Amino acid sequence: MDRLLRPFIRDWWGILLLLLAWQAWVVLSGLNAIVMPRPLDVVADIATNLPVYLPALGISLAAAAFGLVGGFMLGLGLGILTWASTIAAGMLTPVTVLFSSVPVVTLIPILARLFGYGPGTVVAITVIISFFPAFVFSSAGLRALPPGSADLFRVLGASRWRVLTSLALPAAMPNLAVALRIGAAHALLAAMVAEYLMGSSGLGAMFAAAKSELNTERALGASLIVAAISLTLYLLSLRVEHWARARYG
Amino acid sequence: MSGPSGAAIALHDVTRRFPLKGVPEGVLALDRVTLDVQPGEFVALLGPSGCGKSTLLRMTAGLDTPSTGTVRVGGETPAAVAARQGFGVAFQDHALLPWLTVRDNIALPFRVAGKPVNQGRIAALIALVKLTGFEEAFPRNLSGGMRQRVNIARALVLQPEVLLLDEPFGALDAVTRRHMNLELQRIWTETRTTTLLVTHAVEEALFLADRIVVMTGRPGRVAQDLPVPFARPRPVEVMREERFHEMQDSLVLALEPEAHD
Repeated sequence: MDRLLRPFIRDWWGILLLLLAWQAWVVLSGLNAIVMPRPLDVVADIATNLPVYLPALGISLAAAAFGLVGGFMLGLGLGILTWASTIAAGMLTPVTVLFSSVPVVTLIPILARLFGYGPGTVVAITVIISFFPAFVFSSAGLRALPPGSADLFRVLGASRWRVLTSLALPAAMPNLAVALRIGAAHALLAAMVAEYLMGSSGLGAMFAAAKSELNTERALGASLIVAAISLTLYLLSLRVEHWARARYG
Repeated sequence: MSGPSGAAIALHDVTRRFPLKGVPEGVLALDRVTLDVQPGEFVALLGPSGCGKSTLLRMTAGLDTPSTGTVRVGGETPAAVAARQGFGVAFQDHALLPWLTVRDNIALPFRVAGKPVNQGRIAALIALVKLTGFEEAFPRNLSGGMRQRVNIARALVLQPEVLLLDEPFGALDAVTRRHMNLELQRIWTETRTTTLLVTHAVEEALFLADRIVVMTGRPGRVAQDLPVPFARPRPVEVMREERFHEMQDSLVLALEPEAHD
């Protein structure tokens, strides 16, 4: 037990301290639970209302997963296109930079008209959020080749397809892993923001409903779950990144 | 088909200008260089850095094109030879792919060529470069000398018509480098592949080559073309012969004429 607990406290004491401070502050200041509930009450709400939380979480997770995979594939696909053709690079790069600098919140009403006030738009938003890092990092990664390898493939008379599959894509793996890490951490948050603003379904809609009912414990419970899962996804993808660096770097 | 002279490599009247800002005609890097390498011959291109010897090698491999003049390999353009995987190359950058094992790095030319991987050939080459037991190792776990052994094995795996070496041991320490030259001589004696080696190390050129072409720099020109008289196979003792030292001394002088004036 001590063996498990010690590293846990060593790595997480900052967050534990924050939770303790939160609990102490609410208890000592005597704030109303509607304004600020205690963290233990939030955890208790999650624990006793799992049948309410879990289906909402499932919807949000599914939207985030589809969005992450979709955005990643789209970013990688366009990254390969700019690798293969300078004309495509000249056309795509400014458009994607422009697209990524528009705040996502302003896109939601437009996308909702196109895809409807439902999961379709939520997925579309997470695609947009995950797409940009995948595009940027795959474009850079496909060009980060081991020294001399491009000349070697040319002298061996390699086709463009062979250069892509045997050289550029494996060389891009560490960069793709970084894109995955950035995307994974943000995909669920993006899905939740979209759900919140449209009030459709999932944890975001649950948050919006709880907020309007002054059920602050529920609202914070939804946030806590999203934060914890985003952190877990981030840590998992960090592992993937370390592996990719060791294997392909 | 071969060129009129039957040469394996024929560089004829090759000039190369590199563009330079503010100089409309560009910088002349190579000035009317003519060089033939006969089939089965080992020629060393010896010269100071910046004399254009690497550019000549890159042109032979089809990685660069002359401003004027022609490059033919077995009577064909370098591009045509590259398209049928006729070249074996080993440059100073070992260019091993870090995600492939020793075996898979050596098998790479088969895969690029779309040919079935000949595992027997790969095993024989691994034995030839003395890396048996390291088949499944990754490049990052090998020493600099071992990486260059893999590089040489990969260059030979498709039994190339022409072997092009550009300072393959340039990044190694002096002791390892000398040892690798002994190994290269042994390997080459078994294959007798037509070879063009670029180097600025006189000892290396004398020990390995049948013929040494000395170049001078700015612009790159052929200054001398001298046969190496030592019989093959050459034991390491050759390097201690008086004749070896005499040739070594005169070549060192030839490389820096201005220092001698």
